[in-house]
Amino acid sequence: MRFAAVWGLPPLLWQLAFFVTPLGFLVAMTFWSVKNFRLIPDATLANWRFILNAGFFRSAYVYTFWLAALTALIASLVAFPAAYTLAYRLKPATRRFLIFMLVVPFFTSYPVRIYSTQIFFSPEGIINALIAPLGFGPVSVLNTPTGTVVGYLVLTLPLVVLLQTFALMNVPKTLIEAAHNLGCGRLRTILTVIVPSARVGLIVAATFTFVLAFGDYVAPLYLGGSKPPTLSILIADQVKSGNHWPRASVVAAIMILTLIVVMTGMLGLAYGRRGGRR
Amino acid sequence: MTGSKAGPMLEIDRLAKRYGDTVAVADVSFGIEKGEFIALMGPSGCGKTTTLRMIAGLDTPSGGEIRLWGRRINEDAPWEREAPLVWQHYALFPFLSVAKNVEFGLKQRGLPAAERRRKAMEWMERLGIAGFAERGVDQLSGGQRQRVALARALALEPEMLLLDEPLSALDPHLRVRMQSELVRLHRELGITFVCVTHSHSEAFAMADRVVIMSEGRVQQIGAPREIYRRAANRFVAEFVGGNNLFSGTAAAAGEGLLRVEGPFGTALAPRPADVALREGGEVTLVVAADRIDLGAARSGAGNEIEAKVVTLEFVGSSVTVFLETAGGAELRIQRSLRQIENTPLSPGDAVIARWPQDEGFFLPA
Repeated sequence: MRFAAVWGLPPLLWQLAFFVTPLGFLVAMTFWSVKNFRLIPDATLANWRFILNAGFFRSAYVYTFWLAALTALIASLVAFPAAYTLAYRLKPATRRFLIFMLVVPFFTSYPVRIYSTQIFFSPEGIINALIAPLGFGPVSVLNTPTGTVVGYLVLTLPLVVLLQTFALMNVPKTLIEAAHNLGCGRLRTILTVIVPSARVGLIVAATFTFVLAFGDYVAPLYLGGSKPPTLSILIADQVKSGNHWPRASVVAAIMILTLIVVMTGMLGLAYGRRGGRR
Repeated sequence: MTGSKAGPMLEIDRLAKRYGDTVAVADVSFGIEKGEFIALMGPSGCGKTTTLRMIAGLDTPSGGEIRLWGRRINEDAPWEREAPLVWQHYALFPFLSVAKNVEFGLKQRGLPAAERRRKAMEWMERLGIAGFAERGVDQLSGGQRQRVALARALALEPEMLLLDEPLSALDPHLRVRMQSELVRLHRELGITFVCVTHSHSEAFAMADRVVIMSEGRVQQIGAPREIYRRAANRFVAEFVGGNNLFSGTAAAAGEGLLRVEGPFGTALAPRPADVALREGGEVTLVVAADRIDLGAARSGAGNEIEAKVVTLEFVGSSVTVFLETAGGAELRIQRSLRQIENTPLSPGDAVIARWPQDEGFFLPA
């Protein structure tokens, strides 16, 4: 008990001070009002009513949700072969080196990485320069939804590969051998044994991707060109045009609520009914 | 199909497996007949499990050949082989029910669902786990999991079943039951069983023939009784247990006999034809612990050695009596509990250990 109190309390207090309190403040602010660009404490539902009825909010919500889900799917599928190779097909030393390389992107801050991808995707960028002599292009990725997704992937892909690799490495080797022994080739073993065994880790990786993409501000701004706006762009817009912090808070609160629902659902899927046994 | 069904079913020919500089299997050769119960036995690290894994295709040989019905199968992928394995810790799929586990192999072979279910149910009934069909494997006891693993392997109706330490994860009382059940299954099914074990009692109780391995090599192959009564070398004599190994110097004793003198005293035994022994050289005399009698006084027949009782060890209905000779050598003698009850012994008693000359045999030192 004393151990829990001494060592558990500081992080608890930290979370309380820097996460729960601002969150409470954010929720409270959703009921405030704005007059002459000034915040006035209030208890009105006007902000909620306005945002929930606004067409631009609804379409932004659907758009953001869809892009984040798409990113989670693409990242999971693209990462899997890499994670499989890392987990099963490489020597330990090579695996260690590549895992290190997957952490390297996090050395630089994310906006810097997004800026650097612009070099590839700008109209006169590397990609168009490369495909033009072959008679293709020019392709425009910058300021399109594709650009946003590319940005999300820059953010999430190394993380997804890492999480999936650890998930696959935790699959008992004897289960894979048992599958081989009972007649499963490599591909069949992946589908029948490896994916079900690594289910929790794979779902957590996908959920992480969704969470990161759903709330990201940088990719939709610099690569997506804010058009159409995602929810995070919307928050910034509410503040910039009219200093409407309460409305921005409503959007933020809805986003947090959405993430809680998605997380709960995904974790239920991961841990519920041990393996979805039939 | 190359090869006929006349030769041995499975031939292991100069098989080797190296991992870098470490040698798991150095040079192993033996044949397995159809329907045989073979035990691969030896201490941990002797290469028995690696040999089994190579038969299953889970490890690739670095040398030698494995032939099934005369056909080389070294390069066959594990999923192309028909050699289901029962793992020591069962390796059941935790995300599938018991029934789905048993059906697993049949599903991979493309059997229709109804057929699959029928067959799986048959095997679950046979192994007494039909009542758990819809349960998760994590809700089963060790013994029940073992049965699921067996059912999963046998449902494929293979001509050969591989078992890796099938009893070592079970409670002692379950172990004995499972042991006789494996023997019964083997007899009823008539298929080949290849079983890896480190326990000589398991191997001797179940197998038709035992392959004893040490340091990646075969030490002896034979029927349990043959190995027990005639160990081929010192390693086997010590490993199978229940043997006295007396070291000493050899001397001629006439009439096909050889005398050996050592700290244990003096004894005679038949002069072996197959072991090159020099008079005056070092030899080891092996005498099984259950072949030595105890008496109160010398009778003048056979080998007789004076000794003192050190301690008695009771294991069920058998008793091991530990003796020490005047020269400081240790003797062990196996008696039945009844024999001990009829002529009680206590530590410190002076006794005569006695055995007929032809009950001992020589090994090179």
